[in-house]
Amino acid sequence: MKRRQGWLFFIIFLLTLSVYLLINYPLQLGLDLQGGSQLTLQIIKEEGKVTRDELEAVNSVIDKRVNNLGVSESNLQTLGGDQLILELPGEQNPLVASRVLGKTALLEFRTQKEGTSTDLKTLQLQRLTIKELIEQYSFAEKSQNDNNLKVIQEDLNDIEQELNYSSTSKDLYGKLIEIKKYVDNEITNLFIKTDLSGKDLINAGRRQEQTNSNWEVLLTFSNSGGEKFAEITKSIAGTNQLLAIILDGESISEASVGNQFASTGITGGSATISGNFSAENARELEVQLKGGSLPLPIEIVETNTIGALLGSKNILKSLYAAISGLIFVGIFMIFNYRILGFVSVLSLVIYGFFNLAIYSLIPVTLTLPGISGLILSIGMAVDANILIFERIREELYDGNTLTRSIDSGFQRANSSIVDGHITTLLSCFVLFLLGTNFVKGFAATLGIGVLISFFTSLNCSKNILRFFTTYQSLRQKNLYLPRNNFSN
Amino acid sequence: MKYNLELIKNKRKIIGFSIVLILLSLLGILYSTFNTSYKKPINLGMDFVGGNELRIERICNEECSNFSPDSVLENLRENSKNKNLLNNIKLQSQNNNKLISIRTPYLSIQESNNLISNLDNIVGPLNYESKDSRLIGPKLGKRLLTNCVTSLLVSLFAISLYITIRFDKKYALFALLALFHDLLIVFGIFSWLGIILSVEVNSLFAVSLLTIAGYSVNDTVVIFDRIRENLKSNKADYNETIQLSVNESFRRTAFTSITTLIPLLSIIFFGSYSLFWFSIALSLGIIVGSYSSILLAPSFLLKD
Repeated sequence: MKRRQGWLFFIIFLLTLSVYLLINYPLQLGLDLQGGSQLTLQIIKEEGKVTRDELEAVNSVIDKRVNNLGVSESNLQTLGGDQLILELPGEQNPLVASRVLGKTALLEFRTQKEGTSTDLKTLQLQRLTIKELIEQYSFAEKSQNDNNLKVIQEDLNDIEQELNYSSTSKDLYGKLIEIKKYVDNEITNLFIKTDLSGKDLINAGRRQEQTNSNWEVLLTFSNSGGEKFAEITKSIAGTNQLLAIILDGESISEASVGNQFASTGITGGSATISGNFSAENARELEVQLKGGSLPLPIEIVETNTIGALLGSKNILKSLYAAISGLIFVGIFMIFNYRILGFVSVLSLVIYGFFNLAIYSLIPVTLTLPGISGLILSIGMAVDANILIFERIREELYDGNTLTRSIDSGFQRANSSIVDGHITTLLSCFVLFLLGTNFVKGFAATLGIGVLISFFTSLNCSKNILRFFTTYQSLRQKNLYLPRNNFSN
Repeated sequence: MKYNLELIKNKRKIIGFSIVLILLSLLGILYSTFNTSYKKPINLGMDFVGGNELRIERICNEECSNFSPDSVLENLRENSKNKNLLNNIKLQSQNNNKLISIRTPYLSIQESNNLISNLDNIVGPLNYESKDSRLIGPKLGKRLLTNCVTSLLVSLFAISLYITIRFDKKYALFALLALFHDLLIVFGIFSWLGIILSVEVNSLFAVSLLTIAGYSVNDTVVIFDRIRENLKSNKADYNETIQLSVNESFRRTAFTSITTLIPLLSIIFFGSYSLFWFSIALSLGIIVGSYSSILLAPSFLLKD
């Protein structure tokens, strides 16, 4: 008898521990419950699988960029070998993050090929025209001015003829973008690669230009980078060859190097890019350069945004669902199994606390699918109780004593309970391994629930029941049988 | 309380009923594959095909003013750069014009923000705190679909393996037959729901199928366990023993189903809308699953 009491104290101890854990380590809520944005970034690799090292490298670049952006409490994690998930809690706009993170930010320094000055000038002019056309287009589109649109189309045709290139896009906007890309590419091709790149940077910054309100981006090279930069500028100083700074294949600045640098090149280990940046653009470039370029391009494949109000509504709704579910199940059990039902309600409450405590311990981030996993696992936990109680009832009908009936009820229901739990665990395991982030939440809570139910439905129920039966007044058989015995 | 299900007498009726259900499901799947706009056995949702889904509430003083979705769409189109994209846009209003939900093909975050600000101009002010927006790229969609199908197949295989090891071949085969019966019928019901109410399935539907699989097998195993136990000890007629075992386990299966259905109904009535169809799928699975474990699977065991 003493040992049994010991179990009961152990259960009470665990229960107190759970409550203590829950008070001191509050549950982590997913974005669908607290509001916020979630971006899924897919690493793009044309051939072969993304290796662990590549994933790590991309992860660290993205992590640096996120930190430099200054988003608070963001959370970055890898998913399934070639995806990253970035969570931005609260009302932070995912737009800026997506613009900054999505770019490869491959910075190159190139020198102009000899004898291409005229070609470059023509292309620079065409680039300017295209940029203007794109701006005009958004105005014309907004004001529904068909005449203007026609003019843009005609201008575009002229450029296409000059370039001897015809675009394949269907709508006007697509065509404009396509031609701009083509021109950018042509310009880049007039320059030769050097061995100086974004890897040689140790820092980047931004400041407002003195003469106008535009911003410029400051680059600081490492020692070797500074030497390379001096070498390169020396080689073209005083000639009509230009130095281009190219970001992701698009030249963002073309500048000449004055004759005065012919002997030493530009020393000092820094450079500025002044290409009509707005404050925002300059900041984005700064963040990208600070974080370094991505070893592999990424694409944002999924964006979820949940308002804070909706999040708190979701919490309330889930709470209603969970509590009403528990109450109705409790009523059903007590009505059908009387004292046994009451025992199962007690062990269900314990079960609930254990689950929540485990969530805060691991920790499991609670999401909507996660909560539905928990609610569903209530059903599974009760199932074990029902199996046992049905057996106990049969034993009682067969005329066995209460203690004997209880013992053999637990014993005989054992194998069925194990089977049921194992099949569910199998499903959870597969779901957790293969599922998406969303699905994982469900699999985790259901799986944890099933594991805990092994303990609560077999051990807790048994010990509470034994404790009850130590009281003489609670040992009448009819308290354990359903009230409606009319068919017997 | 004793139950007396006349399994032996009704064997043909039970199997016939199941065959009718399966044929209806197959009909729905075939119709959905060949005669609907989406040409798939089931109406795949955004998770699997990619796209943009937006739900947002309007701020209204008392009652929200009426608006016609068509004219709002017309307005949106006029204000948008990307005309092609908006050809496939769907807009609905719910909760007395308060809640607006929009579905479009895949948009970038910038395009989606433009859409929302345009919408704000037309039917605003909008409550950004109530926003629920999901953007899924088509690439990710395809990946999610393969992911879900693999998870389903792998775990069905794992469950089959477990059952085959646990029982002898005959029992294992019938338990699995009952399992596929349940999954096919739930799938068929959702094919029909897709045809009639354009209900779409998402990754949670795949999760519900997996959960149903675990559940249905569990139910059948419990009854088969009882049958085996009784066949060992009972000298009575084989068919009678099976019928007795089913009646003995009937209460347990029915009660378990009820106690699982209760929390699911709470989610259906009180829970978040994103879990609505998920809970419906699970509830249907549990109902069909209990039917097949109590009546269908044991009927397979009966001798003529």
